[in-house]
Amino acid sequence: MGDKKKSKKAQQVIDRMGQKLNRQMAASMAACVHCGMCIESCHYVLTNPGDPTYAPVYKADQIRKIFKRNYDWMGRIFPWWVKAKSPVTDEDLEELKDTVFGKCTNCRRCSINCPMGVDYATFNRMARGLLVHAGIMPEGVAVVSKDQWELGNQMGVLKEDYLETLEWMEEETQDELEDPSFQIPIDKKGCEVVYAINPREVKYDPRTIADAAKIFHFAGESWTMPSEGWDQTNFGLFSGDDELGGAVARRLYEKVEELEGKKLVISECGHGFRSTRCEGPNWAGMDIPFVMESSVNTMLRYIKEGKIKVDKTRNSEPVTFHDSCNNARSCGLFEEPRALLNLVCTDFYEMYPNRAENYCCTGGGGAMSMSEYTNRRLKSGKVKADQLKATGAKWVVTSCHNCVDGLTDVIRHYKLDMKVTQLVNLVSNALVIEEKVAIPPVEGIPIPELIEEFHNKKILVTDDEPDFVTFISTILEDNGATVMRAYDGDKAIEIARREKPDLITLDISMPGKSGVEVFDNLRKDSELQRIPICIITGKPELRKLIYERPDTPPEGYLDKPITEHDLILNVKKIFEVVKHESLKK
Amino acid sequence: MSDFLYFSEHTLQEVAILIMVTVYILRLRWLFKFKGGSERQAPTGSDDTNPRKGIIYSWGAIAMPWAMESTRTKFFFYIQFSLFHIGVTLAILLSFIIPYAPSFLNTNPLIIPIFQLFIGLAFIIGVGRIIRRIFSKYVRAISSPDDYFSLILLTVWFGFAFFAVPNQYEQGEGILLTYFILTAFFLIYVPFSKISHYLYYPFTRYWFGKSMGHRGTYPIRRKPKHAGV
Repeated sequence: MGDKKKSKKAQQVIDRMGQKLNRQMAASMAACVHCGMCIESCHYVLTNPGDPTYAPVYKADQIRKIFKRNYDWMGRIFPWWVKAKSPVTDEDLEELKDTVFGKCTNCRRCSINCPMGVDYATFNRMARGLLVHAGIMPEGVAVVSKDQWELGNQMGVLKEDYLETLEWMEEETQDELEDPSFQIPIDKKGCEVVYAINPREVKYDPRTIADAAKIFHFAGESWTMPSEGWDQTNFGLFSGDDELGGAVARRLYEKVEELEGKKLVISECGHGFRSTRCEGPNWAGMDIPFVMESSVNTMLRYIKEGKIKVDKTRNSEPVTFHDSCNNARSCGLFEEPRALLNLVCTDFYEMYPNRAENYCCTGGGGAMSMSEYTNRRLKSGKVKADQLKATGAKWVVTSCHNCVDGLTDVIRHYKLDMKVTQLVNLVSNALVIEEKVAIPPVEGIPIPELIEEFHNKKILVTDDEPDFVTFISTILEDNGATVMRAYDGDKAIEIARREKPDLITLDISMPGKSGVEVFDNLRKDSELQRIPICIITGKPELRKLIYERPDTPPEGYLDKPITEHDLILNVKKIFEVVKHESLKK
Repeated sequence: MSDFLYFSEHTLQEVAILIMVTVYILRLRWLFKFKGGSERQAPTGSDDTNPRKGIIYSWGAIAMPWAMESTRTKFFFYIQFSLFHIGVTLAILLSFIIPYAPSFLNTNPLIIPIFQLFIGLAFIIGVGRIIRRIFSKYVRAISSPDDYFSLILLTVWFGFAFFAVPNQYEQGEGILLTYFILTAFFLIYVPFSKISHYLYYPFTRYWFGKSMGHRGTYPIRRKPKHAGV
């Protein structure tokens, strides 16, 4: 009994499966006995009691049934006997998409709990790749993959923005250290260390770049950052697209070779570390001639070798540590972050379970880019929230940017009194820097007063969510700005014409005139087109509506949810860039 | 002993085993026709982990209920699993002892009761598993006709094996005949059913253990047990 006529995409998925299957995956597909031992290892199951569709084995069966129907004996001859079934329509593929992208973060916790050694996470990733090959994926995955293919990094950061951010951080750190010799070297050949980062650091958290640079500086390291091919993250891991994975990894490896670097140090990022250090050589089909390590190992070694000195009393609030699934379960990075934490913090407390058995932050597997599953993700975060709460810590430390975002969301959603940070921030904070001799003020030269960040700046905040407008406005006002508020597009344009603000923050999705239309009107208005605009949206999949326009792109971009820290840094950066450009003119 | 019982205990079993072995060879040939995964990455994790240790740990994990959260936190289920598989082993062993070494059963008065104890427990656990498969929402959702059929057949087989242990064909051959015919059916059916999982087990655990050992995850370390300030 044959299946009904399949859609073109359904046939593509089936054919592609035949190309991607390897021995390990085929055995994993064939070996499951449906014992159900994996069920309670999944955070989705624990937070959706009674719904079997979240069970790892159920999710695995949605892929397994295709395998059985097309590549296994019994399934081909007696499909009904073993529940073998091929996808027939595009709707079937949409259902599969919902399972493999929306109900699993590929955290691999079920894999280590399977008595048979079935590695579900690996073939869930393969299933994602099959769908991506047929053009079926969440919008966010498409957007990010496109950015990484076309712009070389997954957040669409332009080269000039990246370089400007490095320059900005260099200047900030020079001011902070009062040391004009401090540098963030770019494309310096023959260095001991080439440092690669996550584009999130450029867009939302440049402080981590400065912190890492300080650590390299005080360790006396010979280091550099590449001007291109600098993104150590790799969306191929999440989308299951091995071709993208290989291209991205190769780009970075080739840059390190071009710079004649001896070691590639990967900033704290779970999937970046796994993609670059572990999976990348396989995807790229390259044997890597240089050493690769996580910055966690680098920082730990600097302290142990006495290259930097730290004072742990500077981090005296209780901290706990969250193991990134990719760092820990998939790459064995368990003890190094703990050793480092014990050196730079006075009160470190484990959460339970920990190490290989720790639960996902809920932001893994690319979940942060798939806004359609946000509610599901936050609901599944209850497990993590309970885990965090039980520690009583004030800070949760993690070595992964996805985890930072995932945990931040969980903390906010479950109203925990806790903040998230990374090891690089703690190490930098604990750095013991030799004090310089204070030079007394010279008579006649005034000491500049401390001024608020956005003093004399008029900022228009536009968003249809009143709570969000209040949140943003309060932060900006606390930092000295004069804030005007608009809750729809028409009002925003009206205020902009009347007040000529120094900056407009703009939501994309609003009732009435959308953010895209407002953006269009502003850019086309000769009086208003020079006003910098910062897009703040909860729907990253819509950003292409802005960026694909022929107009000058917005000066800033932030994905909701945002933190106070992100907002201030980005607004500050926009003003600095505008000032820099006007000085040039 | 009737000729039919003799045939069932010997020729039928030998033919069935031959078919099973042939199908298993074909099955392994099928598996190894898929391309092997390659590993170019340099090892990660602490120095005391490596692929060899990972493989050994992976193979041994099933005998270490503390190794996996799924077995550690469901110890009763783990005990059931152990008894069930001991029952399977003894019931298979019985199908060789009765035809080829029947006197073994009488070498010690405890042998027959021990066989019956474990096979009987396996039968009870099998009944429990059928109930679980029908009534647990999660397990029902993943069960195929093969899952139900294999489990019911195995449980019925245990029932007949229990009564076949004393090997008293003089008192009626019905039980022994049914046990051996069921055994032969099993030998032929197993390679096509989920019961053949044990054929894949060494491979899946080998590959997973090798990978996790190379990446420094296996052997798993767990400590400390309690969280909190």
